Amino acid sequence: MSEIYEQPLFGIFITILAFQLSKIIARKFKFAVFNPVLLSVVSIICFLVIFKIDFESYNIGGQYLGFLLGPTVVALGVLFYEKYEQIKANILPFVSAVFLGGTLSIISVSTIAIVLGAPEFILKSIAPKSVTTPIAVEISKIIGGVPYITAGIVIAVGIFGNAFGSAILRALGIKNKNAIGAALGTASHGIGTARALDEGKLPGAYGGLAMCINGFLTAIFTPYIINIVLTLFA
Amino acid sequence: MFKGVLYLFLFLVFGEIIVHLFNLSIAGSIVGMVAIFIALKLKVIKLNDVKPASDQFIKYMVLFFVPYGVGLMTFYDILKMHWIAIVISTVLSTIITLYVTAIILQKFGKDE
Repeated sequence: MSEIYEQPLFGIFITILAFQLSKIIARKFKFAVFNPVLLSVVSIICFLVIFKIDFESYNIGGQYLGFLLGPTVVALGVLFYEKYEQIKANILPFVSAVFLGGTLSIISVSTIAIVLGAPEFILKSIAPKSVTTPIAVEISKIIGGVPYITAGIVIAVGIFGNAFGSAILRALGIKNKNAIGAALGTASHGIGTARALDEGKLPGAYGGLAMCINGFLTAIFTPYIINIVLTLFA
Repeated sequence: MFKGVLYLFLFLVFGEIIVHLFNLSIAGSIVGMVAIFIALKLKVIKLNDVKPASDQFIKYMVLFFVPYGVGLMTFYDILKMHWIAIVISTVLSTIITLYVTAIILQKFGKDE
């Protein structure tokens, strides 16, 4: 007889429950580390470890929620269309900035990791670290990374950008709010863009658009960049 | 709302078919994302038809990637072995990305 938790309902239910509780806690403590995603992930892992339930049993239900990332990526195309109108005037410098920032993100993370001795599959898992989770997971699957590691790192990068991004940029002499918004969206996707919205509506739009453009560019270029880095340094 | 959901899945299926036919090394959902943008731009579909659904998907996006985050637990031993390389490379790379993007836009962008 199979255990009660070995059915889709279990994984789906505890995910929704953990997420709702995490949102309530996150609202009470206005600090980036109390991010609802991070809290949900950590509390579910703790729950599974304490009750000795393995990930595979949880994922019988969890995979149904994960599946919905596919249509979510398509939905990002709609978001992109809406934001596009708002920044038309600045489109050329904006796309160049996101393009260079995004490309350097893949090159720098994979080069530094390989120099520090990380194996190839780690490299492939963290290469799309700056783009929004649904896109990063798809890229990771295609280039031979581990989507679970990718998702974890992407969430961590988002929280890092949200918590420290604006302060780092200001310390480095960036004053332009739209530039800060675009940088947060490029480097730390949706979670970073949430902070860009604190800077204002337009910086928020820059962040959202940067997230979409970088997601698209990273999806196209990552396989090639990884190959070059591997031939040069491996 | 339902029409919008249908559109999203329609473009997802379209993306998957394109990837399959041309043997592309890109995800079908990303092809679908570009295709729906083009369809909106060329006014093949109306924003008001798809927006109610797409807004909901984006709003709950974070919930959908929680299971992937939980999957990290199965890689505990591997992460323990390589965490220094992972942390240093991602932190440095994130700072580089932030700075390069911001400085280019600050230097060459127009202020609105």
